Amino acid sequence: MPLPVAGDGLWQEGEARAFRRLTLAWMGTMMFLFSTMLLLGYFMRLFQANAFRTMRPEWFYAVLTLHGLGMVATWFVGGMAATGYLLTRYSRPSIWISRLALAGTLVGAGLLAAATLFGLFGTGWYFLYPLPFYSSGVWPPWATGCFFGALALLFSVWTIWVLDLLRAIASRFPLRQALGWHVLSGRPSLGVPSFVLVATVSLIAGAAGLAAGMVLLGLWAVEWLRSGYSNDALLMKNLTFFFGHIITNITMYLGVGVVYELLPGYAGRPWKLSKALAWAWNTVLLLVVLAYAHHLYMDFAQPRVLQDTGQIVSYFLSVPAAVVSIFGGLALVYAAPMRWTLASWLFFLGLMGWAIGGVGAVIDSTVALNSRFHNTLWVPAHFHTYYLMGVVLMLLGFAHHLAVDLTGEPERPAMRHAILALLAIGGYGFLLAFYWAGAHSVPRRFAAYPRELSQGVAAARVAVVFIALIVIAVALYLWETARRCWRAFSA
Amino acid sequence: MTPQVQAFWIFVAMACLVAGFFLWVARSTRQAHEVNQDAARRLRRNFFYSLTGLLVIVLALTLRHMPYPVPTERPERIIFVVGKQFAFGISSRPIADDADWEAATYSAPVQIPTGAMVEFRVSSFDVNHGFAVYSPSGELLGQVQAMPGYVNRLRMRFRRPGIYHVFCLEFCGMDHYRMRGLFFVVPRTNTQSHTRSLLAGTGE
Amino acid sequence: MTTARPMLGSVVALAMACLLAAACPASAQDSLGQPANTPPDETSFIFRRVPDITITPIEGSPVTLSALGRSSPLVITFIYTRCGGVCSPFLESLAAAARQTGGLGSAYRILVLSFDSRDTLADLRAAARAHGLAADQGWIFGAASSPDIARLARATGFWFAWHWSSGQYDHPSLLIAVDQGRIVRMLAGATIPPSRFREITDELRGKFVPSYPAQNRRVAFRCFRYTPGGGIQIGWGFLVLLAPGALAISSALWIFARSRGSAS
Ligand code: HEM
Ligand SMILES: [Cu+2]
Repeated sequence: MPLPVAGDGLWQEGEARAFRRLTLAWMGTMMFLFSTMLLLGYFMRLFQANAFRTMRPEWFYAVLTLHGLGMVATWFVGGMAATGYLLTRYSRPSIWISRLALAGTLVGAGLLAAATLFGLFGTGWYFLYPLPFYSSGVWPPWATGCFFGALALLFSVWTIWVLDLLRAIASRFPLRQALGWHVLSGRPSLGVPSFVLVATVSLIAGAAGLAAGMVLLGLWAVEWLRSGYSNDALLMKNLTFFFGHIITNITMYLGVGVVYELLPGYAGRPWKLSKALAWAWNTVLLLVVLAYAHHLYMDFAQPRVLQDTGQIVSYFLSVPAAVVSIFGGLALVYAAPMRWTLASWLFFLGLMGWAIGGVGAVIDSTVALNSRFHNTLWVPAHFHTYYLMGVVLMLLGFAHHLAVDLTGEPERPAMRHAILALLAIGGYGFLLAFYWAGAHSVPRRFAAYPRELSQGVAAARVAVVFIALIVIAVALYLWETARRCWRAFSA
Repeated sequence: MTPQVQAFWIFVAMACLVAGFFLWVARSTRQAHEVNQDAARRLRRNFFYSLTGLLVIVLALTLRHMPYPVPTERPERIIFVVGKQFAFGISSRPIADDADWEAATYSAPVQIPTGAMVEFRVSSFDVNHGFAVYSPSGELLGQVQAMPGYVNRLRMRFRRPGIYHVFCLEFCGMDHYRMRGLFFVVPRTNTQSHTRSLLAGTGE
Repeated sequence: MTTARPMLGSVVALAMACLLAAACPASAQDSLGQPANTPPDETSFIFRRVPDITITPIEGSPVTLSALGRSSPLVITFIYTRCGGVCSPFLESLAAAARQTGGLGSAYRILVLSFDSRDTLADLRAAARAHGLAADQGWIFGAASSPDIARLARATGFWFAWHWSSGQYDHPSLLIAVDQGRIVRMLAGATIPPSRFREITDELRGKFVPSYPAQNRRVAFRCFRYTPGGGIQIGWGFLVLLAPGALAISSALWIFARSRGSAS
């Protein structure tokens, strides 16, 4: 039944309809941004395959920045929108705040596009201190201002949005229940859905990540406006990765929350809030704020305890994920009276991508190996696995679920098979080229590869073929889903 | 096989295992039936213990192989490295200012005897760079960040003589992918004097 | 948590102090090196050899620097006994720092050299006694010939300049850590904070300090510093790093406390 369910006291019919349309607008935005950013990714891989020999590298780096931030933003808001929508089952997230977030996100994305495509602002998505101040003549100060302005806008509206979703949860569940502590102390689940636990954990961590982003922007602003003051590069790096790691990490968790809520409907079995589940997600909440330390392994100035913590935390973050969410998802599906649709397949494959990306991540988070993997293509390899074959599939699954739910139009099995096969082959082929290149010492963020690293060009050429399959798959998906969304929106 | 390539194959094997498991579970839905909840719980518990055990073992094995220098060892050579958009100055003399850095980027490459423990003291004059050492065959051997305001010390030993390339592994601007440096590793001859003269090459 | 700034400031202050201090009975004095209002930059001297000069200690017979350095690494510093400015408080702070960090006499020794040719061994002995260091095995007070002092000063960036008006030398206060004949660390400043001194003694003991803040940058909010205890001291920057987490937790607590979910 389409959400929000009107007439059960929470929502009135008009509001329910408005919320549905808003969610469809979010999904449309998500699909639009995704397909644009996808083409930018294609452009970059072509660039690395030497397809545009005469083009200046500034373009590669501007596109890298836009693609990276654009994708991170797209899937964060996608996850937030899906979470907000599913929360309407239990409480009332604010429509107006979500609208504000949508407007802010669109304006912010526009500003980012202007800074990068017109201003050639190219610092990579995490704008590591103090690179934005050292443009070596490539981008003008207005581009830097535009970029930071966009971030300030995005962080502000997203913080409000995150706090509002927390408020919505709080209006229905006390913290004790939202975090599953009552289950830990042996009481029954009291009807708290596991989705709410996952969402609560993600949102609290997300608030911390966004706060770090704000502090970071503050320090940037002070240095920009007051001459003679300089920031500590190590502190800035810690803050940058604290922010960056958490935002990307909780995007994954938001997607997982969606799967917790929707997959049971397809499997015909419940995914109950158990003791193990509560343990797992409370552990995640504790550890997720520390895991960022694995981005600083190669900063020998960082105290040794933080390096050790980084590896230990990164390792043990994989336990709750694997044992509770992934194993739980598999147990849910195993021999279940499963209704296999495009949406449920995407959820299922999304869990699989999460697991595979996790293997790549744990390997990389081993300090001894990180010496040889840090900032090679292994890094984009593992996070593209998490994203492209993980949370992206989950959220595309959500959009499709929504589209079918709202229009009632049945899907076409032939299209489903084509989309899934092309996505899986194209996706893993594309990723394997990244992994292989990373294992052969090819650095990330190289616009072109020097002669000594020509294996990078070879990998890029292979990847380009597979990306074409992804592009076709996404086009087919959009044909199936975006059209339905549009119809539901204008109905 | 380099450690990276070994890790790659381990990754591929584990990814196949995961994928196989997922496909097996997907197939199991062809014949839906009730699942014994206790068995599932037992299985999960075993999975939990074996995964945790495995991680603890790997942790114990790898935490000892940190790239961070050991206090008891003393380096035989000290090499100063400073990154600056868009080249590495690598020198056996300290690099204190732009002029030193310029001189270091234009002078003859530093020579390091095989088997000597070298300490790279790595810093940056502008943005973050990544000092990454590549073997003559193009294998990434180790790296450390070059950070403004800090001097990071990376210790390495080189067995094979040849030309070692240095690439920048932290994005630093438009010519990041062209930012590089190099040094030579030369055979350590068995005559003491030669060794001593090589070693004396620092400082004075 | 600034490092470079107070040091620059203090060196300038010490120069002023030397200038303004009460005049001593003075005769024509020499100067050496280029006066500058910044301390010698460590990176220009590190790992260079120091010249093997001959030192006449207040106890015992003349000895070469290399012979002295053979039994333990050395921390060398320059003073002159008639200094009405910074030398005395500098020695006090150095002694305090050495006491706090430990290892003096076993892991390293401190060599206090006079750069003033007027200083006699008796002057130096009196100075050592005045600071209560004469009997301390960890401290060596000594003199050297003017050419030897000049050689050592050139190799370490030390300088001094005679000021007729005040009858005082203008000079920086400098610590030079020497191990096996090479400079391994240098530290400048009118007083020696134990935390910075610790970095030097760690280096001399072969203990690895993974990084040190390079000079000539003004930085606010440093994350970490090395403490006299050998551990890591948390700076303001670290608190900045903890703020986001604290902020998130407290806002979550506030949100939940405010609405007290109408438990289902
Ligand atoms: C088929 C889809 C995609 C393609 C072809 C693609 C391609 C690329 C390429 C070529 C790079 C540069 C790699 C390098 O460092 O050399 C890159 C970086 C990146 N991509 Fe993608 N990508 C895709 C999907 C995604 C998705 C779904 C996300 C989700 C967040 C994403 C996020 C990023 C990020 C964050 C970076 C790093 C940017 C940086 O280094 O600053 N990409 N991508
Ligand atoms: Cu660089």
